[in-house]
Amino acid sequence: MKNTRKIPLYYWRRLSQLACLALFFFLFVRTDYSGTDTIEYAVNILFRIDPLLALSASLAAGFFILLMLPAVGTLLLTLIMGRFFCGWICPMGTLLDGCRSLAPQTQRESDGKYRPLKFYLLGFLLMGAWFGLPMAGYFDPFSILVRGLALAVDPAVNALSTTFFTYTYQEGAAWVNAITEPVYAFLKATILPFNQKYYDLTLLSLGILLVVFFLEKLERRFFCRNICPLGALFAVTARFSLLRGKAGAKCGTCRNCRDVCRMGAIDEDRNISMLDCNLCLDCLHHCPGNKISFRFGVQSQAKPTFALSRRAFVGSLALGALLPFFLKSRTLARQPDELLIRPPGALPEEEFVGRCVRCGECMKVCIGNGLQPAFLQSGLEGMFSPILKARTGYCEYNCTLCGQVCPSGAIAKLSVPEKKKVKIGNAVFDRNRCLPYAKGIPCIVCEEHCPTPDKAIKFREAVVENSRGEKVTVKQPYLIDSLCVGCGICETRCPLPGASAVIVTSAGESRNPAKALPDTGSAWQVI
Amino acid sequence: MDRREFLRQVALWSAGLSVSVPHFRICEALAADGRQPLLAHATGRDYRELVDRVLSPLGGMGKFVRPGDKVVVKPNIGWDRNPAQAANTHPQVVRVLVERALDAGAGEVLVFDRTCNEERRCYVNSGIQEALAGIRDRRLKFFHPDERKYVPVDIERGKAVRRLDIYRDALEADSYINVPVAKHHGLSRLTLGLKNSMGVLGGTRGAMHHNLGQKLADLATVIRPKLTVIDATRILLANGPQGGNLDDVRVLDTVVASVDPVAADAYATTLFGLRPEEIESTVAAHAMGLGEMDLNRIRIVKA
Repeated sequence: MKNTRKIPLYYWRRLSQLACLALFFFLFVRTDYSGTDTIEYAVNILFRIDPLLALSASLAAGFFILLMLPAVGTLLLTLIMGRFFCGWICPMGTLLDGCRSLAPQTQRESDGKYRPLKFYLLGFLLMGAWFGLPMAGYFDPFSILVRGLALAVDPAVNALSTTFFTYTYQEGAAWVNAITEPVYAFLKATILPFNQKYYDLTLLSLGILLVVFFLEKLERRFFCRNICPLGALFAVTARFSLLRGKAGAKCGTCRNCRDVCRMGAIDEDRNISMLDCNLCLDCLHHCPGNKISFRFGVQSQAKPTFALSRRAFVGSLALGALLPFFLKSRTLARQPDELLIRPPGALPEEEFVGRCVRCGECMKVCIGNGLQPAFLQSGLEGMFSPILKARTGYCEYNCTLCGQVCPSGAIAKLSVPEKKKVKIGNAVFDRNRCLPYAKGIPCIVCEEHCPTPDKAIKFREAVVENSRGEKVTVKQPYLIDSLCVGCGICETRCPLPGASAVIVTSAGESRNPAKALPDTGSAWQVI
Repeated sequence: MDRREFLRQVALWSAGLSVSVPHFRICEALAADGRQPLLAHATGRDYRELVDRVLSPLGGMGKFVRPGDKVVVKPNIGWDRNPAQAANTHPQVVRVLVERALDAGAGEVLVFDRTCNEERRCYVNSGIQEALAGIRDRRLKFFHPDERKYVPVDIERGKAVRRLDIYRDALEADSYINVPVAKHHGLSRLTLGLKNSMGVLGGTRGAMHHNLGQKLADLATVIRPKLTVIDATRILLANGPQGGNLDDVRVLDTVVASVDPVAADAYATTLFGLRPEEIESTVAAHAMGLGEMDLNRIRIVKA
């Protein structure tokens, strides 16, 4: 043929994959403070083009979340071009394809028996989201990927490079440092995070990500074929897509296309199932007779390579609809964890957990390293949602980044003046531990750091007896509830070893009027 | 022990050749000096001109920076606050001092602080990053402290602290210029020059707050500025050290400079209507012979 020198189509697909992956990493690195109060890039765009998260968050919210409007575009494109997203754009898919060469495996096809799993999962997750058990973020590929990178890989890479370059700095000869120090400076200026960050659930986040990669051992794109609920949503849509693949029914016996198909989308009779095909176009290249074509508007009779069990599907829907009611009988429903402090701008708890997609963006961007993934503090359905753990980090007073990166509006985007009016918690002093109270030792570090212009932490001078029996005058801190915003810097900076002598709880948080604090002149007195 | 010997010890310690922690003691030159320290103060709206004016009675920057010197200019950039809020050193004051050090032929001028709020926010919001960005000179290095470069130092003469982690560049500088902002502080009443030196400490600094005055004096035995320039262009009278409320700020358009760090603090205290004896760190440092706090024994010049 004349056009043998033309660039094969799958090269374009690879180029698109690499470009999207590069863009993804670029945006991931830029999910950080960059010298201005606002983040310049749409770092959360990956989550806003994700129709699974858009649908589940919107079902939980009870209305369509406009912030996630781009996801509709993705679905519309799927109606035209099938699961192109999985083959051409998805960074998780690209990484899975990329790691294949690292771990060669025998091509063992599971004959599609796990294929229906993702549809049951999709049904369960959407029903759950609607009825109050939001778990889509546990299975969404982007949530898994970004969480794993932000909570585990990124800090680990930083720890590794810091360790290495500290070693070269301390032990290396001058000529070694002449090489390593500029390299370190370059890495710090480009890909490394500004500071070492510390996270809860690091190993769990990493583990979930690794499982997705280890599943490649079983078959190519195992996760995409069998588990990915986003892939399932695309598959359901792609059933009606205009672009259809067609293979020759009367070709020879080579079966190259079947061997090369990473999604197992081609059946014995070489029909291409658009529910599975991710448009990688490898088959075009490998077909010796050029029998395969992808065209718009072709009538295709290809059946899915698997069958859904109606009973199982209805069962998963019912599970999603009924399970939420069991949540309402937990003690948690009556008395929320008092250390469950949500970021400023977080919606009321039920709505917040419903809309939070567990992407980890807010924890990645939190410059105070205050936001941590919750474990079971807000129940099984709240895992990986952000909470402020004020002993390891705090909420920076002038910073509004978490609300800016939240893709679903679970954390509202606040201006700096708005944010300063939001109370996320309230500090409490433990007088048995606080030095000026307990030991007669001067301290007041909490007061020094308290960021409100009229300090919420004030002090009184008091004469106390210290442990040597001497009468000393010390400044003892106390809190003005109405001034405290709950940022937690007092707890972070409390110089006591171990537990802090000042602890922030969610009492008085402004998103929940039921937790209002007693205050002179307030309704507390009227009642 | 002199500075050269100390640098040798740091080098050996860093290279792992010596297990003994470097220790440092300043010579008793000042106490033995016997002469009254010179202090200049000046007032004016144009802060660039103001800094030049206040330095002239002291002999100008050339007196403190020799050609080729490694110079540290240490402002207070502790808080995520803007210049009007008076929590950090005024950017123009920092900038002029850096320019004058460069003019005097400094080999390099290092500017840094270990902040209390998030590092980058403090550098930006203080206005100092922008002010220094205007200086196009490769000898100027404005950077965030590097965790690896804190050196444990035995404080030989320390009464309240025995050992501190101190930033290497601060110890190695030929000329260390301290540029604090004068402001209110809940525990120490005021934060001035001696308190500003805490910005070169590593580790957990919260523990410094127990017996703060003496510990600051102990620190002053090893961090010895050649020049202290106290920025009182605007001072914070309450809710310090970070403020945030402009009602707590008073504009004085004043800058104070002295070679004697204790004298500088002592004089700046009077700007708040307080007496030097009321500031514990001043008293402790004076008692250790680190400088003069008696205003009658300081030659105060209005420039």
